Amino acid sequence: MKQSLYQNRKAQWAAYLAVFALLAMVPLYFDNPFVINQIARYTVMAMLAVSVSLVWGYGGILSLGQGLAFGLAGYGMAMTMQMQYQNPETDPIPSFMLTNELDYLPWLWEPFWSTPVGLFLTLAVPTAIFMGIGILMFQARVAGVFVAIMTLAILAAWYSMAYDMQPYTAGFNGISPPLPFQIFGYLIDPYGAPAFWICVAFLALLTCGAKFLMQSKFGLVVQSIRDDAERARFLGYNVAYYQVLLFTLSGFIAASAGLCWVMVVQYVSPTSLELSLSISAVVWAAVGGRLSLMGAILGAFLVNGIQSYMGDELQQIWMIILGFIFIGVVLFLPRGLIGVVEKIFSGKAATTDAKVIAQVREVA
Amino acid sequence: MALLELRNVGKKYGDFTVIDGFNLTVNKGELRCLLGPNGAGKTTCMDLISGRQKLTKGQVFFQGEDITGESEHVIVRRGIGRKFQVPAVFKELTVSDNLEVAFGKKKGPFSNMLHFGRSAGVKRYKEIVELTNLGDRMNTVAGLLSHGETQWLEIGMVLMQDANLLLMDEPTAGMTEKETYKTSQIFNSLKGSHTLIVVEHDMSFVREIADIITVMHMGKLLAEGPISEIETNRLVREVYLGTEGIH
Repeated sequence: MKQSLYQNRKAQWAAYLAVFALLAMVPLYFDNPFVINQIARYTVMAMLAVSVSLVWGYGGILSLGQGLAFGLAGYGMAMTMQMQYQNPETDPIPSFMLTNELDYLPWLWEPFWSTPVGLFLTLAVPTAIFMGIGILMFQARVAGVFVAIMTLAILAAWYSMAYDMQPYTAGFNGISPPLPFQIFGYLIDPYGAPAFWICVAFLALLTCGAKFLMQSKFGLVVQSIRDDAERARFLGYNVAYYQVLLFTLSGFIAASAGLCWVMVVQYVSPTSLELSLSISAVVWAAVGGRLSLMGAILGAFLVNGIQSYMGDELQQIWMIILGFIFIGVVLFLPRGLIGVVEKIFSGKAATTDAKVIAQVREVA
Repeated sequence: MALLELRNVGKKYGDFTVIDGFNLTVNKGELRCLLGPNGAGKTTCMDLISGRQKLTKGQVFFQGEDITGESEHVIVRRGIGRKFQVPAVFKELTVSDNLEVAFGKKKGPFSNMLHFGRSAGVKRYKEIVELTNLGDRMNTVAGLLSHGETQWLEIGMVLMQDANLLLMDEPTAGMTEKETYKTSQIFNSLKGSHTLIVVEHDMSFVREIADIITVMHMGKLLAEGPISEIETNRLVREVYLGTEGIH
């Protein structure tokens, strides 16, 4: 059987670069700050979907806790921005702490006086936590639905903590830094083109990096572990080691998304640690096609776009609509929307391949 | 020289003893067949060698070193390859990707991150593709292969590993007569350069390939010797072969 254009690596890279170039040109065509901010938000959500595609689509690890890295990074970024506004001499304590009768700056907040340290912690802490969770889970050979349950439970625990530790996290209200993020003396307006381009750069770099890695032998081994971990183990691979690295990497990508999110919305609250966000991210990846990073990006843009432009009266039942979209995709497009693209380029033979694989999956 | 040695090996699941005081010595270049009725402990024996199950007593020596209790991937890296009873291949990967995963001495994740080359040019890859007859199926997803082809692919993967000792659990299960014959040819060509332990029920296949046969019963050694001896052994006839002899 001949390799199709869809599977041709050069064609894939060309498609990826074209999509990112097109995306980067958005501010040149739309002069509307609201639209630019909106698309920047979708870009951030796409990053979260990429992290799901990597860990679930390639690694077969269904994580329902990607929002944990996203939310923690969001808090890190908000703390960094908040401390940029505070003055060490005249006004060292954020106002929400004072209203919660906290008259000193908690040690947790101290490192965030420095922006570079703050940014480092924003990305490093969630990544390290993902590594820790990964080591505990995969050393014990936890797999399948139990991974989903564990990640979900861990996320729920962190959500409650962020919610309950009101003096430190501002609880339900969340932290809203008074000024946008400032770097090298520039204020990055959340509604401006620079903020947008930073998000696109993050998405492009992380996606291309992940794609590069998935094309290496590391990626091949990761996919083989998804198919049959036992077989991979008996070919001499330390399965847990590979899974931990993949999970950590997905945590890093989700953390980058969290950082960018707070940069473009200038606000963080426990909602970013809610279960519904993490589960939505899984749905975006599934709708677009979890077996492809570009599919996940597509899914994130599409589903979020539908949600935004659907009209107010339907917002109340959004989760029901999302549920129907998900069921529809699972039933009719097991490889997601990108599967349609694959069909178009692959001709008939591969179409039957996909069908048989879908059947094999249902049986298994 | 003894390549593999099991010394007084035992395995219990709770109170139930599966293998009890089993000894086995396999020399380099030998093809050993492991026979026995269902529940004799043949597959468990392979599990104990390859580290899939932990022993409850005894020791396993490979190339003179004690490998008892090591984890699976470490044992594999020492040079023990394994084919499973139920054929296990990576169903969503292509045949060539399946072989690619099996290939290579580098098993660490970081060294594999910058590894993009394919082993297509490597001599062994061609030999194995030829040997297993999968040449025109290279870009096919492994889940679509026939049962016999899947068996051969898994055998090919184990060969791709370039292991010193190959553990083959029922390699001809579900194969047609012609396929079985082809497989016996593959195995005969491996003799000498590789050491094999084969669990098999098909007696015509065993006759075709075996040097020495080890017969297990109830987790213990029942008899050991060349096929002519085993076929006439009274004990073996009673527990396994039936009084009519081997078919």
